[in-house]
Parts: sequence; C-alpha cells; structure tokens
Amino acid sequence: MNAIEVEGLTKRFGDFTAVNDISFEVGEGEIFGFLGPNGAGKTTTIRMLTGLTVPTSGTAMIMGHDIQREPFIAKEAFGTVPEVSNVYDDLSAWNNLMFAGELYGMPRGRRVDRATSLLERANLAGFKDKKAKGFSKGMKRKLTIAMAMMNDPHVLFLDEPSSGLDVQSALELQKALREMNSAGTTIFLTTHNIEDANVMCDRVAIIVGGRLAAVDSPERLKATIQGTRSVRVAFGGNSADIEDALTKISKVSRVAREGDKWRLYTDEPSVVLDGVFMCAQGKGLELLSVNTVGPSLEDVFLLLVGGEPR
Amino acid sequence: MNVKMSPRAVRELARAWAIAKKDLRIYYLRPGLIMFGILFPVFLFLSFAVGRDVSPVVLVPGFVAMTIFFSASSTGPMSVPTERKTKTYDRLLTAPVSPVSILLGQTLAGFFFAVAISAIPLLIGIQWYGVGVTSVAALVAGICLASFGFSAMGIMFAAMPTDNPGDVMMVLNFVRLPLLFVSGIFVPIEAMGGFGFAAALSPLTFPVDLLRYAFGGVCYYGVAWDLVGIFAFTALFFALGVFLHERNRKKA
Repeated sequence: MNAIEVEGLTKRFGDFTAVNDISFEVGEGEIFGFLGPNGAGKTTTIRMLTGLTVPTSGTAMIMGHDIQREPFIAKEAFGTVPEVSNVYDDLSAWNNLMFAGELYGMPRGRRVDRATSLLERANLAGFKDKKAKGFSKGMKRKLTIAMAMMNDPHVLFLDEPSSGLDVQSALELQKALREMNSAGTTIFLTTHNIEDANVMCDRVAIIVGGRLAAVDSPERLKATIQGTRSVRVAFGGNSADIEDALTKISKVSRVAREGDKWRLYTDEPSVVLDGVFMCAQGKGLELLSVNTVGPSLEDVFLLLVGGEPR
Repeated sequence: MNVKMSPRAVRELARAWAIAKKDLRIYYLRPGLIMFGILFPVFLFLSFAVGRDVSPVVLVPGFVAMTIFFSASSTGPMSVPTERKTKTYDRLLTAPVSPVSILLGQTLAGFFFAVAISAIPLLIGIQWYGVGVTSVAALVAGICLASFGFSAMGIMFAAMPTDNPGDVMMVLNFVRLPLLFVSGIFVPIEAMGGFGFAAALSPLTFPVDLLRYAFGGVCYYGVAWDLVGIFAFTALFFALGVFLHERNRKKA
C-alpha cells in the first residue's frame, strides 16, 4: 500500500486554478520532496492532503483512507509541521505536547512516556516547564515537530521545514528527519531548498503553475539534462578581462559567475579543462581549484520552471 | 436509565474537553476578555442601575444575565481569531477531531468561564441588594444554559474570516448592545408596550425571564417557554456556527 495516493487533485479559487489535476503516489517509508517556485501550489496541495482545505475535484488517500470521506481515520495516520511553527506560546513545552497527545486520544501514561522521549530527542528536556513564548525560532520548530510526532504517525507532512532556521538547526533537522524515516515514518516535505531535497529525498515532484512538471528521483531527473555539464574554476588573482577570455575557450557555451568562482557550461568538459589551464597561464593567474560538475537538481528545477540553468 | 455512549461519542467528547481545557488555560486572563467579558457589563449595569428606583428583583436577574451574555459570547471571538493568527487553529483542523467537537470544546470553554464569572453579579445581588433565591433549580438552569447558549453565539460570530479579535468584537457589539434594550433587562417586558414582541426575538430575553423567576418567583413567559426559548436559540447558534465554520474551511 502507498502511504499517499493523489488522483486528479484540483483546487480552484474562483477563476484561478491553484492546483491543476495533479496525480502521484508516495510509497511507505519514502522521503518525498515537493518542490516549486512561490505560488506554484505547494502549500495548497499540502493543505488539501491534510484536510485543511477541500479540493475542487480529485482525491487524496492517506494510508488508504480518503481525507475527505474518512477524515478521522486518515488524520489518525499523520502529523503535520506547517511553515509557521504553530505552538501555543502560553503553554509550556510539556503542556503543548500533552495537548497534542490528547487531540489524538492517547492515554495519559503513553502521552507522558512519548513526551518525555520526544523532549529528550529534541534537546528540550531542560525547557520542559518553560512557556514556549520564550523559545527561539529553532526551539519552536523542534517543539512543533515533536508535537507532530506525538501520535507516532505513519506519515509526516512538513511545509518548508527549514524555513527561518540557521545552518546548524537546519542540519539537526535533517538528521532528525532521517532518523524518523529510518524508524519507518514516511516523510512528505515541501521545500524551496533544492539542496535539502537533493540530499534527503528518495523522489521529488516539481510543481509549476499548479501542474506537476516532473516526479522522479533526484539522480534520474539530473540524468535527463546531462547536456548541462560544466567546469567550475577558481583563480587566485583577478584579471579585468577574465570573463571574455573564459567565454572564448573552445566548446564553452556559457560562462556564469558564482561568488569567487566561474562556471563554464559545456558538452565536453575535458576540452574546456585544457582551455582553462592555458587561460590561467596566459593571464598569469594561479588556479585554486578546478572541478567538473554534472547538472544539479537546481538546474533541473530551473529548466522546468522556465528559467535557465545557472 | 442506563445511557451508554458509543466509543465514537466518548472519543469526540474527550477531545472537545481537551480543547476546552487548553482554551481555559490560555485565553481567560487576556485583557480583551476581561474588558469585554467582565468590566463592560459591570459598568453598563452600574450606569443604568445607580440612582434608579427599580426593584432589586428586577435589576439583579438582568445584571446576572447581562454579565453571562457578555462574558460567554466574548470568549470565542477572542480565542478563534487569535488561533487563526498564530496558525494553531490549523492544528485543531488537521487533528482527528470532528468540526462539531472543535466547536463544542471552544463553546465549553466559554461556558465554564461565564459560569465562574456569574458569581460576581450573583454575590453583588445577594450581598448588596439583599435579593434571595426562590428557585435554585431555575437559577442553576438559567446560569448554565445561558452560559452555553451565549458561548455558542460567540463561536458563531467567530466564524468571520478574520485573524483579528477586534473585527469580530466590533460586529458582535453591534448586535449585542441593541439586544440589551429589548430583552427586559432595564425595562421589564410587561412595560415595553408595543415593543414587547421584539423581546421574543432576542436570545437574551429568556435567560433574563428565567432568572427573574429564580429570584422573585415570577416570570413573563413561564419557565417552560423560557427553557424552550433558550434551547432553540442555543441549537440555532451552534448549528449555524458549525455551518459557517465549515463553509469557511471549504472556501479556504
């Protein structure tokens, strides 16, 4: 059985179609990423999947139960982490978790055990009796995730989970999600962070203008645009006309600046590498690093949403 | 009679109770609720009662009913938009709890708040005005049923699609204030003359009349009709509340 099955899901607001006839499945135990630019329909989709809004047409099944026809059973099977951490600021971390457990009908003993374990895993045990209003953004995020995990859900929906987190908190979150997934939880996440999706997801769907543009594993998606290979080079010094010189290297189709590096797009990286060495010698520049780079998930994403690979 | 509830009903009630407890913990010391739920009716009562030659048996039931009216109906308009703003309302909607149980939980919170607050005018009435209770059953029924009914009324108004409690309070006061003057609080229904028919259209009339019976042993409509009136308005508010909240969810 698939954890999530979506068939012909559509949501219209008046004349505007936010999500247009999308269909996909998420297998049990998968980490599934849902990518798209702003306004593409990611949040509307997750709101339909979690029963927050009613689809205009189509169905969404969670663990085999239709979210509209059998909302009670479907909702028992999942937890949700919205984009904004929705903890009760006036309740302590402990009471937030107790309330989350009560909403799922968990008996008191099980609630206490689960809340104790989740607070420890989230490094919030020392803040158990503190009101959430004093928590940092990262702590609130952790508490929101812990609340979503109270009922030990089969499926966890996360809308932009690393939104607003610093690098360390985002890495901790990635680690926590991998642990949950290893323990059997299916994870559905929407994200702007393509690198998060690349390193975490078994498969990704890319939604553009309310329609699904692609659903596949990150590596397979990258393989579809093998033509966009490139050489990334960093020089130790600077030269005024370096961009012109790089553009003139044989087989280079385009040059793009990436911070202190240059990226040279090509179909034949080995030819370009020779040109780069000659260029460095000619300009008297030290070569700090040279790498050949395959297409990234970001390139796939940009191509699908109508932009150019960087 | 042995009443056995279905496991589904027990489950729903338990979750409604969890929501009520949470609301009671969070919202009932909020300044807006103290202002609109307690201070406003007390000052309104004082401005009408002080210096007027009206029997305490007429004044006190009106005071108790008015306090319940304001406190119970202010809770939903305070908690629901606040939860929309903090997105915690989404937490309730994505949990395995029916819309009826969510609204029942929020209504129960307003009910308990108003029952507790009703002690203030009750004590003032008994201690300062020296009124006696002639029917404890009518008093308890009046306080409890009115608290639940007006709390359901507040929840119904809280269906307004806004995340600002002030927006709901403004509309609610536009409705609540005129009702005060046609419900027999300041002018007994029998003295309203040609406007007496308007009293029957106000949900506040029946609790006032029932409480008047509780304190003085007389009422205008009769206890049975007062109960019918309270139940009818409560059912209307609750059903309309569920309908409006669900309609908003479907539109969202």
